[in-house]
Amino acid sequence: MATETIEETAVPTEISAADAIAAIAQGKERILHEVRKVIVGQNQVVEDVITTFFAGGHCLITGVPGLAKTLLISSLGRALDLRFRRVQFTPDLMPADITGTEVLEEDRTTGQRNMKFRPGPVFTNILLADEINRTPPKTQAALLEAMQEHQVTVSGNTYLLEEPFFVLATQNPIEQEGTYPLPEIQQDRFMFSLIIDYLPKNEELAVVNSTTSVSVSDVQKCIDGQTLMFYQDIVRQTPVAEPIIRYAVELTARSRPGEPGAPQFIKDYVSWGASIRGSHYLILGAKARAVLNGRPYVTVKDVQSVAAAVLRHRIVTNFRAESEGINSEEIIRRLQETVQPPKSGL
Amino acid sequence: MTSSPVAEPGVQQSPSSLLPRIKEARLQILNELRKIVVGQEEPLNQILIGMFAGGHLMLQGPPGTAKTLSIVSIAKVMNLDFKRIQFTPDLMPSDISGTEILEEDQTTGHRVTKFVAGPVFCNLIMADEINRTPPKTQAGLLEVMQERQVTIGGQTYALPKPFYVMATQISMEQEGTYPLPEAQQDRFMLSIMMNYLPDDQEVEVVRNSTSAVRVELEKVIEGEELLDFTAAVRGVTLPPEIGQFIVDLTFATRPTIAGCPDFVKDYVSWGAGLRASQNIALASKSAAACDGRGVVTIEDVKAVLMPVLRHRIGLSFRAEVDRVSVEDLINRIISITPTPAGK
Repeated sequence: MATETIEETAVPTEISAADAIAAIAQGKERILHEVRKVIVGQNQVVEDVITTFFAGGHCLITGVPGLAKTLLISSLGRALDLRFRRVQFTPDLMPADITGTEVLEEDRTTGQRNMKFRPGPVFTNILLADEINRTPPKTQAALLEAMQEHQVTVSGNTYLLEEPFFVLATQNPIEQEGTYPLPEIQQDRFMFSLIIDYLPKNEELAVVNSTTSVSVSDVQKCIDGQTLMFYQDIVRQTPVAEPIIRYAVELTARSRPGEPGAPQFIKDYVSWGASIRGSHYLILGAKARAVLNGRPYVTVKDVQSVAAAVLRHRIVTNFRAESEGINSEEIIRRLQETVQPPKSGL
Repeated sequence: MTSSPVAEPGVQQSPSSLLPRIKEARLQILNELRKIVVGQEEPLNQILIGMFAGGHLMLQGPPGTAKTLSIVSIAKVMNLDFKRIQFTPDLMPSDISGTEILEEDQTTGHRVTKFVAGPVFCNLIMADEINRTPPKTQAGLLEVMQERQVTIGGQTYALPKPFYVMATQISMEQEGTYPLPEAQQDRFMLSIMMNYLPDDQEVEVVRNSTSAVRVELEKVIEGEELLDFTAAVRGVTLPPEIGQFIVDLTFATRPTIAGCPDFVKDYVSWGAGLRASQNIALASKSAAACDGRGVVTIEDVKAVLMPVLRHRIGLSFRAEVDRVSVEDLINRIISITPTPAGK
């Protein structure tokens, strides 16, 4: 129902932002309700993936196999009425296996032969790139280009991807031979980096009981792609107070060891700090968080709630940090202690 | 995770009245198989448990342990459409799933693309030496296993039902093999070990296989009935304390979980995931159904534990040094996991 109301009033400019925000918060609850029929637990991951959908960003998910990553993502895709494709990344996957290839085809009417483009799996709304670090750099780069440009170029022709377009890439944290870790610069394209861990025992038991019995509930569609894109605009239009933007920028900037004003622990433990995309996504993520919670303004808490997901893959710790058992998680925690939030920031 | 443990929507709940029929069919199938396969009782049992649960299976073991023979015979006895693919280093994904070819229309002279279905369009496919083929081709097969459909040129083709993949692996040490990544091994419900026979059984095999007698196998059940069986297996009751026992076992294999046993921390580099718990539960249900029972017992769980967990636990380097096998480890975990009282 909420969807329809929005579509009727979806004529640009004339919609009250308050109504749209209320509809978004309601839409999120419905998505959660649907996803909860299939997915047990993993609240934080579900919340974060939904946040990236509303912010229009891509997501990197790290976790061991068998944690229902595919089910989680495909269920979200179904709840959003979006097309979903999964690609298993392998060492011998080629760029054309993702983007598509040109084939020779005959025109029925004229008898002429033309090259025709056969779109690859990237032509979808949600692409699950499973175990992205198993594929060589050239193939990773092809995907990352599509992520960035929302288009692919094959034999000089450019083809636009469908909108909305999300990439959810998974990585296996198990140290293995023959994997190609994503370079920092490429990780930077992902808005969020999420960690998915084992469920607590009682939740795993609940999954076992529900998935090995007879009835399986079906996920109902809540929001379609058009509406989602309209909601993304609402998210972007949310105003943010200057001090809060300053706070986000400071969080990001203080993570760079070479910059003046870097705290001592950053100089000691960090070899590479967060880029400007860090501040960008802190604010965009905070906006999405605020709107998804039905608020038309962004608070410091919104920024803090996305800080780990935004900065985790953007801060590279050095050897000393590793030997002392300090990870980027810990660095982000200390950063949040060091950087003072604006007093008016709520 | 949309894999075997998850029921397809629309599968009807079958009455538990099917349980006696499952027990009977199992015995009939085993009787037929015994005409041709000597020994290997435990692996054959496990294969049937896996098939009645609708799972894909991995068969391990040295050459000449009746892996292919068992599967071919099962396909005959169950009247399943059977195909076998020898996986080779130069096999391509389209060699499995099928391919589009350009065809000329006889009447109009126009050329059109036509889909030629690959060997995967059958009920039971035997993927022989799956680790001989490069990863993309392996991934192609595993995708088909999971989704039970093939997408080519934007068109989706559903596979026949039931659909089973039985894969064999040659031992890892050989050159020119591509080990299946753990995420992909995880998609096989059971990993079944077939070992050399005791001497007297080997004598029997040699006597039979060199004689002039040709054994004819009778069809015992149909694919349709197998589908009913898989639905009935899901209807078997899993008592809460047994469910808890299953999850306790799986948790004990994870070295990162607080409170896991010290030997697990030493010997395991990665433990069994959520799919392990799901598959232990489902396979235990199937084991109970094979016995004509509608409730899972601890014995059912113990009977399926080894084949479910064997390929889902990664050993550490230290385990290799200390010569600890996955089997040793699983046995140790079973021995320290408290079983529910008053079973």
